[in-house]
Amino acid sequence: MVSDKIAIIGDRDTVTGFRMVGVQESSVPNNVNEIRKALLDYFRDPRMGLIIITEPLAMQVEDTILELSEAPVPVILLIPDREGSTGAYETVLRELIRRAVGIEINV
Amino acid sequence: MSKILAGTKTTRMELLRLKNRMRLAERGHNLLKEKRDSLIMEFFNAIAEIKEARNVVEDTLSEAFSSLTQAKMVMGPSRVIEFAYASKVRTDISIATRSMMGVRVPVMTVEQHVPELPYSLPDSSARLDTMSIKFREALKSLTKLAEIESTVKRLALEIERTKRRVSALETIVIPRLDATARFVRLALEEREREDFIRLKMIRDRMDMD
Repeated sequence: MVSDKIAIIGDRDTVTGFRMVGVQESSVPNNVNEIRKALLDYFRDPRMGLIIITEPLAMQVEDTILELSEAPVPVILLIPDREGSTGAYETVLRELIRRAVGIEINV
Repeated sequence: MSKILAGTKTTRMELLRLKNRMRLAERGHNLLKEKRDSLIMEFFNAIAEIKEARNVVEDTLSEAFSSLTQAKMVMGPSRVIEFAYASKVRTDISIATRSMMGVRVPVMTVEQHVPELPYSLPDSSARLDTMSIKFREALKSLTKLAEIESTVKRLALEIERTKRRVSALETIVIPRLDATARFVRLALEEREREDFIRLKMIRDRMDMD
């Protein structure tokens, strides 16, 4: 049983909230390059178990996320930010389903 | 007609061996097909679970955000951020794996170490406590969702792999074995006929003498 770290990439509010409950790694990127860099940094950390990223930021680096999602660990999880869900996670999921079953299914 | 296996000898032994391989391939094919079907069933179950977990996450998160806003209103944004970064709560997740139809799927559990006094009580508002609790709940539901999502991901990969194996057996291995067996059988029959004719000719010649 290895305990792993959690990382959060998001806007100031989201990060603040999760820092409060003990998420150790966090980053508040301001542009696309910073998002990608933060994502890759956390991804390469061997002790990382879960990367949480907010949907608006995830949309900007969708290709990178799809690529990194191939690896089983760490898990990359998209969450809605305070504005509510944008449905970005569905894109990632639908792509997976399309490849697995061969048809498009609405989730 | 698919290609026959190179270097096949046309002997009875070889024919028997080919038949055995064929049986094995067919059995494997059936097993893999069953595996694929039940994987797909599991996959759809997991997808339904995702939907539920998503809803829970969205609810707990929006509650958490509204309590964050309240905390910010009472204490001021910069103080909340200050407290958040100084918070002594530690959260780790442990990932164990369990096997689901031969696919290793993760089981995540959150470990939260909450000290008696996570932050200075006199300086913080009760809103901060509420916010802390809400976000802890949100994190728990997030972990659950992450677990299911990565299960789905791994199932999807496994389904892909199984499908590829099934179709490789179906379209390449089995037809090729079939063609080779047929080739050997025909060659053996041909040789039998030749022998038969040869015997006949020898008998005729012996009769003439």
